[in-house]
Amino acid sequence: MIRLLQRPVSAAPLAVFRIAFGVMLFLSMVRFWSKGWIYELYIKPKYFFPFYGFEFVKPLGENTYFLFALCTISALLVAFGLFYKFASTCLFLSFTYIELIDKSTYLNHYYFVSVVCFLLIFLPAHVYFSVDSYRSKEILADKIPAWCIISLQLLVGILYFYAGLAKLNSDWLLNALPLKIWLPARNDMPLIGFLFDYKWIPFAFSWFGCLYDLTIPFLLTYRKTRPFAFLAVVIFHGLTAVLFPIGMFPYIMIVAALIFFPWDFHLQIIKSVSALFHLRGTFISPGKTYCFSAFRHSVLLVFFSIILLIQMILPFRYLLYPGELFWTEEGYRFSWRVMLMEKAGYTQFQVRDNSGKSLIINNNLFLTTLQEKMMSTQPDMILQYAHILRDHYARQGFVNPKIYVDSYVALNGRLGKPLVSPDVNLAEQKESFQHKLWITPLEDEIKGL
Amino acid sequence: MKSFTFKKRLFLVLLTASLWGCSGSEDKTTEPTDVQETNRKAMLTNLADNIIIPSYANFKTRLDAMVSKSDAFVAKPEAAQLTEFRQAWSDAYTEWQKVEIFEFGPGETYVIRNYFNIYPANVTGITSDIADASPNLEVPASYDRQGFPALDYLINGVGADDDAILKYYSGTDGAKRLAHVKRLTERMSSLLDRVTTDWNGSARETFVSKTGLDISSSTSLMVNAIVLHYERYIRSGKFGIPSGAMLNGVPAPEKVEAFYKKDLSLTLAKTAQQAYVDFFNGKGVKTGNEGLSLKSYLDGLGAKDSATGKTLSEIINAQFEASKKKLDALRPNLYQEVKTNNQAMKDTYTEMQKSVRMLKVDMTSAMSITITYTDNDGD
Repeated sequence: MIRLLQRPVSAAPLAVFRIAFGVMLFLSMVRFWSKGWIYELYIKPKYFFPFYGFEFVKPLGENTYFLFALCTISALLVAFGLFYKFASTCLFLSFTYIELIDKSTYLNHYYFVSVVCFLLIFLPAHVYFSVDSYRSKEILADKIPAWCIISLQLLVGILYFYAGLAKLNSDWLLNALPLKIWLPARNDMPLIGFLFDYKWIPFAFSWFGCLYDLTIPFLLTYRKTRPFAFLAVVIFHGLTAVLFPIGMFPYIMIVAALIFFPWDFHLQIIKSVSALFHLRGTFISPGKTYCFSAFRHSVLLVFFSIILLIQMILPFRYLLYPGELFWTEEGYRFSWRVMLMEKAGYTQFQVRDNSGKSLIINNNLFLTTLQEKMMSTQPDMILQYAHILRDHYARQGFVNPKIYVDSYVALNGRLGKPLVSPDVNLAEQKESFQHKLWITPLEDEIKGL
Repeated sequence: MKSFTFKKRLFLVLLTASLWGCSGSEDKTTEPTDVQETNRKAMLTNLADNIIIPSYANFKTRLDAMVSKSDAFVAKPEAAQLTEFRQAWSDAYTEWQKVEIFEFGPGETYVIRNYFNIYPANVTGITSDIADASPNLEVPASYDRQGFPALDYLINGVGADDDAILKYYSGTDGAKRLAHVKRLTERMSSLLDRVTTDWNGSARETFVSKTGLDISSSTSLMVNAIVLHYERYIRSGKFGIPSGAMLNGVPAPEKVEAFYKKDLSLTLAKTAQQAYVDFFNGKGVKTGNEGLSLKSYLDGLGAKDSATGKTLSEIINAQFEASKKKLDALRPNLYQEVKTNNQAMKDTYTEMQKSVRMLKVDMTSAMSITITYTDNDGD
């Protein structure tokens, strides 16, 4: 097994992955910047929602632009394979820092990018077809240990498979929710729009999507099914790109799926690019194998195994919490649960103190529209916001302010109901990994995983 | 990639065929349901042609009548003219409640609500505008110095009784004051003309053709605007703020709509509430028949409470009915109600709050619309 993992294989797939991933990230960053989202999401808000345990990550104000510049340049350097070790570390740190500033912007695909960036720091993605290896013959090699590619395949495989597992629930399979809500919204699209008026279409999409997620890693691995599987990848992600506002994610996944293709396919790509630049044959086929020291090699193998194991265990942590996962969202993030819920909420906070002072809060004095929208449906953010209010009004002369919330949340077409008990003083509640007792139960069961 | 082998080709063909087969067979058994109901273009067309445009036309008739009575009063500021002006003002103000909801499209372009109905009226501002030869009435600071609330003050509030009011319009100062009345009514008339001209022109086409549900689409803009209208201008403006339900429990009776006229305030609120319900249900202004609307759209989507099987539109209508009951229990003078029967005012607010949640959360969620307007509770 270990020998199988350590056997030398072509470095071409990893090199192509590095380039494609770097370019996609670079484009994502440029897109983000050009849309003015840096200001909108990281500079304009007055308050932020850091992740539990990462409260030391602070917003940087105007300096956020430097952080994005660092991230953008790093992505480009990674694509070129220039100053790779430094660039990949910078890319991971800058990208992850950005994502940790505010929970409101959490997306599974950003998490995926962070994990991949982290792995790339340790992978020898720069030894082949990179500027670094062009400049220094020392590191140039066209063979790397097989696990370097297998680990990325596993990560992509886990993402799909777990996204599929998460769809094995009654809302998704038996009620076609939330697609039954989302698809009719696109019934005015040219060519395919009319389809979304058929009641069975959301069911077909739901079942196909679930089956696709569960099987695609295997179909991409198996040689005979691979071409069709990739066609399915392109169609599936193409369709999601057209139907839903999910930005660069579909394109990143299409590119990531290439990691399952055999080495000769990637070598073909590299050769055609080389031909354009008239690169030497010895650069393309140096006939060298990249070697880790024995100690380093074993440490890395153990390390990567642990990381991948975490990916497989973390999504199941929700089992430790009582209550309905989609409702409480305890253990929801970092679990490849993608597009599973149509959730909308409305929260009205009240601050009071014992002297009889009382005030209904205008959320917009504190939060942006996006933050308010995200906060209104997620209990941990409701608590964070309550604490922001508590601290603010304590400074405004309220003595030990008490914070209450009147919340109303609708999940997957169910009629709205309070998410948080209106009689609980949130100012006193503390954040922890414990179950939040003040969440009102959904009183409906979504069966399945 | 190597070219596909024959086997692979065959597999691909079979796969495609089986997929087509599946969809084909289902196609025959299942007709698209409620296509008309979920056709947003048809809904927008009905709303524009049978509600929005005719409502503006009705309002224009009333406003034109008010302007001519105003002109008559300015020409001859006497008791008879004042009475007629007041009546025309009441009629126009009531009719306005039926179009205030349309703060999207041209209504939003010209932010007509801000110039027509921001209350309480700013008496100090109005007084200084009268002294000014050409006051700037186009800036946010001027919102509460014009429109129906300013006229309310000028025809009902400048004196203790009719004699005192008529006296206010005599002499040299009186002429200035009359000139200002004319300035205000003319401004209202010209603003409304802009809005109706747009609706009767290209705005209608734009409205019915932007059929998506993204942020810039007609349905999304309209839903955002009407939810905001109910939340901020019916619930908060007419009940939440005057009753003090929204701020520290301190009642502010002087913040009721039509404060100087006083006994008109309930009529205005009831008219606004009814117009809202009729718009939700797509009730044609001329025919009185229901057409395609938010109600039929929600029904077409199959939006319902899974627990009880009731449709969402039924639930929303039942809640509207509950609010109406609270309104019916109030006496015409809401200023007096705040002072002597404020619990009933607060109850009305609480009942309306339930509708706000349903409109803002249940309806938008079922329609897959994002609420984009910024909330202004507690202001």
